[in-house]
Amino acid sequence: MMQRDPGRCRDMQGIADTSREMQTHPGRCRELQTHPGRCRHIQGDAGSCRARGRAGAPAVPPPRGQGALPRAGGPEGRSRWSPGRRERRDARAAAGAAPGAAPGAAAAAGPGAVCRRRGAVPGPAAPRPARPRHPAPRQSLDFWKLLYVLLKQIHGGSWTESDAIGAQVRFVQWALWYHGYRRPQLRRLPADGSVGSRELLLAFSWLLHCPGLLQRLLAHNRVQTGDHTSVCTCEDDVPERQEGPGEAGPEGRVDVRYLQWLHGRLRLQWCSLHAQHQEQCRLLHKIHSFTSGSHMDQNLGHFSVTEADLIRHPENYKQLLQLLESETTQLEAFLEWKQLEPVYWQWMVAAREELQKERFSATARKAQESTELKLRGLPSLCAPQKTRMHGLCRLVLRSKQPASKVASGQCVSKEAAAALRAAEVIRELQLREASLQRELQQLQQQCRTRLDGIAEGLEGVICISP
Amino acid sequence: MSIVTVQLGQCGNQIGHELFSALCRDSRGTHGLCSNNENQSYQDSCKERFFCEEESAVPAARAVLVDMEPKVISQALSMAASSGHWRYSSHSHFCQKQGSGNNWANGYCVHGPRHKEAIMELVQREAERCDRLGGFLTIMSMAGGTGSGLGAFVTQCLRDAFPTSFILNHVIWPYGTGEVIVQNYNSVLTLSHLYHSSDALLVHENDVIHKICAQLLNIKQISFRDVNQVIAHQLGSVFQPAHLPCAVSLSDMSSCGFLLSGDLLESLVPHPEFRMLGLRNIPQMAESSLPYSTFSWPGLLRQMLIANAQMEEGIDWQVRPPQAGSCIPCTNKALHFNTSIANLLILRGKDVHSVELGSFQDPSLYTSWLNPQDAFTAWKTPRAFNKYEKSAALVSNSQFLLKPLDSIVGKAWNMFASKAYLHQYTKFGIQEEDFLDCFTTLEQVISSYTNL
Repeated sequence: MMQRDPGRCRDMQGIADTSREMQTHPGRCRELQTHPGRCRHIQGDAGSCRARGRAGAPAVPPPRGQGALPRAGGPEGRSRWSPGRRERRDARAAAGAAPGAAPGAAAAAGPGAVCRRRGAVPGPAAPRPARPRHPAPRQSLDFWKLLYVLLKQIHGGSWTESDAIGAQVRFVQWALWYHGYRRPQLRRLPADGSVGSRELLLAFSWLLHCPGLLQRLLAHNRVQTGDHTSVCTCEDDVPERQEGPGEAGPEGRVDVRYLQWLHGRLRLQWCSLHAQHQEQCRLLHKIHSFTSGSHMDQNLGHFSVTEADLIRHPENYKQLLQLLESETTQLEAFLEWKQLEPVYWQWMVAAREELQKERFSATARKAQESTELKLRGLPSLCAPQKTRMHGLCRLVLRSKQPASKVASGQCVSKEAAAALRAAEVIRELQLREASLQRELQQLQQQCRTRLDGIAEGLEGVICISP
Repeated sequence: MSIVTVQLGQCGNQIGHELFSALCRDSRGTHGLCSNNENQSYQDSCKERFFCEEESAVPAARAVLVDMEPKVISQALSMAASSGHWRYSSHSHFCQKQGSGNNWANGYCVHGPRHKEAIMELVQREAERCDRLGGFLTIMSMAGGTGSGLGAFVTQCLRDAFPTSFILNHVIWPYGTGEVIVQNYNSVLTLSHLYHSSDALLVHENDVIHKICAQLLNIKQISFRDVNQVIAHQLGSVFQPAHLPCAVSLSDMSSCGFLLSGDLLESLVPHPEFRMLGLRNIPQMAESSLPYSTFSWPGLLRQMLIANAQMEEGIDWQVRPPQAGSCIPCTNKALHFNTSIANLLILRGKDVHSVELGSFQDPSLYTSWLNPQDAFTAWKTPRAFNKYEKSAALVSNSQFLLKPLDSIVGKAWNMFASKAYLHQYTKFGIQEEDFLDCFTTLEQVISSYTNL
């Protein structure tokens, strides 16, 4: 393979070289530069991973691309052990671990490692990797940026190249905290982004492990049909706020009438939103009923909003095509990641063991345990989940029962789409509404009792409850 | 975004007809100096809001007409049809063959429940014709008999049937020296019931409009038609489309879209205790004088502040309260100074962008618990309204109605204390406890406004 395709084999040798990447896969790089959030990370020990599933296969195709970060700069220092992950190199450099340890451990994990080794310099006593040419802060900055871009996309925000590093750091720290990552070392990292790649690596792994985050990213970049509505019948347990003394002193006292004002505004805005939502439903129904019978897919039977719009403005097809292509590329990258994922976790586990000396907190231990669980649970990933309605649903009009609309859930990983009947969802939501009403009435009654108690203590005052 | 208008009683139907005429006339009229695009979207927005485009060219008003007698409704229907530019839908009115006595309790307790289904079906039909239902506007008089009682009942039904829609009640405040002896009872009953069901009450005082007709418009023999036309003009200046101040250029404005009625309510009546809105509109000039007048914005706005004073019996907005340091009991403040909770200023016509609005954002105008940024909103559009080169309307949630309200409640209470004329109400089902509840509600309103 080396002879056949030297450009590709450099992957095997683990030289993260963006410029070379551009030579072999210019199209992809363009995309990577425009959509860095979708960088194909963790090519890792691709060969070993791929080969594990196909033990003995002669020609293992190397990973197609690198997780290139958007950065300027020339070739990185050569490193045999890190096919593309400057962060990992940096982590090891920071940890001062022996170069061969991490991949060695991972490589030893599967027989397919042999395939990977084929292209590499033979022998475990490999020369130490050259120090990365760029100083560590550079990699930290890039890692911060990677997380920033990822998290911004997940939160539906936009970002520009010129966003200040301080803002990036703060946002990443906030977003991680928001999602439940509470490791204090992360919050103590300086705002100039100069250090912390090890912490960031940990946080990054945590993010990958977090259920649904990657899926959210995918969903965010999905081409919209316009027919979606969100359904949620979860019992959200709002944590009970403790009844403590009033928070603010005299300076911070707020007039209750102002709070009532704000509450009223919120309610009126909610009413406006409700009216707009009803309008949207009405118009959607019009589109669905007017185009029913026209769709090639018999299951659906009618056009979605995007399709109807395309009929009216056919010149937009190019744009739609581009969006579809980029979505496809992203999904392919995600699938690739899914295949390589176990290798990454293996490596992380190994890396963690080395860094034991640094006294990682229980978080890392938990991460390890959960990654081990994850590895064991890999085959059962496709187990059906409990039917709890949550997420986006696409509305499909069924003409046989004109009164009801059927919603089909759209999930990437499941083969058969779970179909929900609108009537069921409505029933669930009504039950939920009834229980919330009961709770509200209970709370109001409690307040009334308290007010009556207070009023009784006042002389000459008649209290008329609302 | 569409509004369904419910015209209740004789007063409501007459004013409603004038309102639609005024809106139609303005929409088709000259558009001053704004661009064609702007004018086009203004017209489209107005049409969508108040009219329903039908296959026949003439748009139909989104309105339901309700009255116990057929006379006024048929007048309104025929006048609209003969205008040639708009009409009422053929099946959106409800009336009985004969009148049913001038009695509030009769309207509320007897006719309301009896005809509820028929009326609500008309409303539902109009509501369903709207792609987006912005809310309801009801027009009625406050002190009338059957019409007011029925109107209060219908408002309640609207609230029950449409819990999340906006309801704006436009009410006509009676003449101080009215002829109907029980008008104070009726007013108290109407106001308190409306206060519970609707989001806001937009009040027009007959006395004030009469003054406008006499002093500003120089009309010698003031007829109801004149009064109604002034009211319709003022309402039109509020309900015609306008933009939020976020748009800084004309191109921004056309993409910004016209505001919804929800925004009007959001700016003015979020607080459930403060729902009374007053309306001032300038300039008011005889049509014959219009071609010879030019207006400047500072002059117009200053006139608005002063004109406000005239309508409020001498309270001058230029009077400043004492410095914040000294403590002034709230009641004293109310006597000398009209405190606002919120104000909405709508500017239409030439040069709207360059208007200096600092005088309306003075914190001393507003109550202490709300800062001017929250309390003051300005809408603008370069599109001229009803042939006025420049015009401004001020919708105000303030203490302006405190005195008239206090006076009406006081008079009604005196009558109630001596149990005068109560049998007219009790025989139809309004008991003394109901009266007491109404008095309580209004005392609460008076107290809230006094303590601003």
